[in-house]
Amino acid sequence: MKKFELNNLTRGIWKENPIFYLMLGLCPLLAVSASLKDALGMGGAFIFVLLGSNVTIALIRKVVPAHVRIPVFIVVIATFVTIIDYSLAAFSPQVHKNLGVYLPLMVVNCILLGRAEAFASKNNVINSALDGIGMGLGFTLAILVIASIREFLGQGTLFGISVLGKNYLPFLIMIMPPGAFFVIGFLIAIKNSFGGKKNAE
Amino acid sequence: MKKKDIIKGIIVLLSVTLLSGYLLAQVYSLTKPKIEQQKKIEEERLNRDIFEEGVKFSEDNLKEIPCTAVYDINGNLIGRIFTSQVRGYGGNITIKVGFDNELKIVDVKILEHTETPGLGSKITDSNFIGQFKNKQGADLYLKTDSPTGQVDGITGATISSRAVTEGIRKLQEQLQ
Repeated sequence: MKKFELNNLTRGIWKENPIFYLMLGLCPLLAVSASLKDALGMGGAFIFVLLGSNVTIALIRKVVPAHVRIPVFIVVIATFVTIIDYSLAAFSPQVHKNLGVYLPLMVVNCILLGRAEAFASKNNVINSALDGIGMGLGFTLAILVIASIREFLGQGTLFGISVLGKNYLPFLIMIMPPGAFFVIGFLIAIKNSFGGKKNAE
Repeated sequence: MKKKDIIKGIIVLLSVTLLSGYLLAQVYSLTKPKIEQQKKIEEERLNRDIFEEGVKFSEDNLKEIPCTAVYDINGNLIGRIFTSQVRGYGGNITIKVGFDNELKIVDVKILEHTETPGLGSKITDSNFIGQFKNKQGADLYLKTDSPTGQVDGITGATISSRAVTEGIRKLQEQLQ
C-alpha cells in the first residue's frame, strides 16, 4: 500500500460519511444536535479523539496481540476522551455541561471503536491520521447540518442569535429527539438521491 | 493459546494502561485548578441567581451548619444559602437552598447532578425546582408520598424528585 492516500481523508467527509453512510454514532448525534453551539463542541471533541486514538492505535498496531486488541483500543479511546473531558470542563464549562453524559459515553462510541478496528489497526500512521480527520470532519459536518436545521426550525435561531424574529412560533418537536430522526431521515434520502446508493454497491 | 501469547498480552495491556494512567494524571493536575476556578464562578453565579439583591457574600454558619451569608447593598443581612448533597438516582445531587431571615425559602438551585438526561435531569427545570420558592415551614413531601405533601414530583423521575425534596426538607428541619 502507498504511504499516503488523500482518499482516506475525503472518504469520511462525503462518500463514507459516518452518519449518512455508515450510520454509526447516532446516539450522541440525536442528543446534542438541538443547538449549533453544542454541536460544534461535540464535533471538535470528536475530531480530537478520533485523530488521537487512530494515530495511537496505528502506532502500536504491530505490538498489540489480536486477543487483547479490544481492551487496548478502549483504554486508548478512554484516555483521549478523558483528556477532552477535563479540558472542556476547564476552558468551556457551558459546553461541557450541555454535552453532559454524552462526552464520557464517547468511550464506547461505535465510530471510534469502528475506525480503530476497521482502519487504524491495519494501516500506517499517516493514513490513519487522515482517516481520523476525515471521519471526524464528516461527523462534525453532519451534526452541524442537522443542528442548524433543528435549531432554525425549533427555536428560530442560529448559534443562539434570533433569525426569524420574535413572532416565530417554534416548531418544538424539532428540538426534541424525534426531530433529529426526521432530519436524519430526510438528509439520508437527499444524499442517496445524489448517487449514494450506487456507491454502496 | 500459548503461554507466551498470554504473557505478551498481559504485558501490552499493562503498559498501555500504565501509560494512559500517567498521561491522565498529568492532564488532571494541569486542568484541576482551572476546573475548580470555573466551579467557583458557577457557584457565585447561582448565589446571585438565588438572591438577586445580594451584593456581598461571605462564609458563615447557622446552628453549626456552614453556609453563605448574603448582604444587600446597605450591608443588611438578607438571608443565607445552604449547600447540601443528597443521593439521587444516578449519583449525588448538590443543591443550593436560599433561606431568608424568617427561614422562608427564597429559591433552590441544582449545582451538580448526574441524573438521567431527559428524565431525572428535569429536576433543574423551573417547573419542578420553582415549586419550593417562597415556601415557609411547608410539608415538603411529594404529593404521592404524603397526603399533606405539597410538591409535585416529575413523571418517570420519582427518585430524583424525592431526593431533592428530602434534601430541602432536612435542611429546613435542621434549621428550625
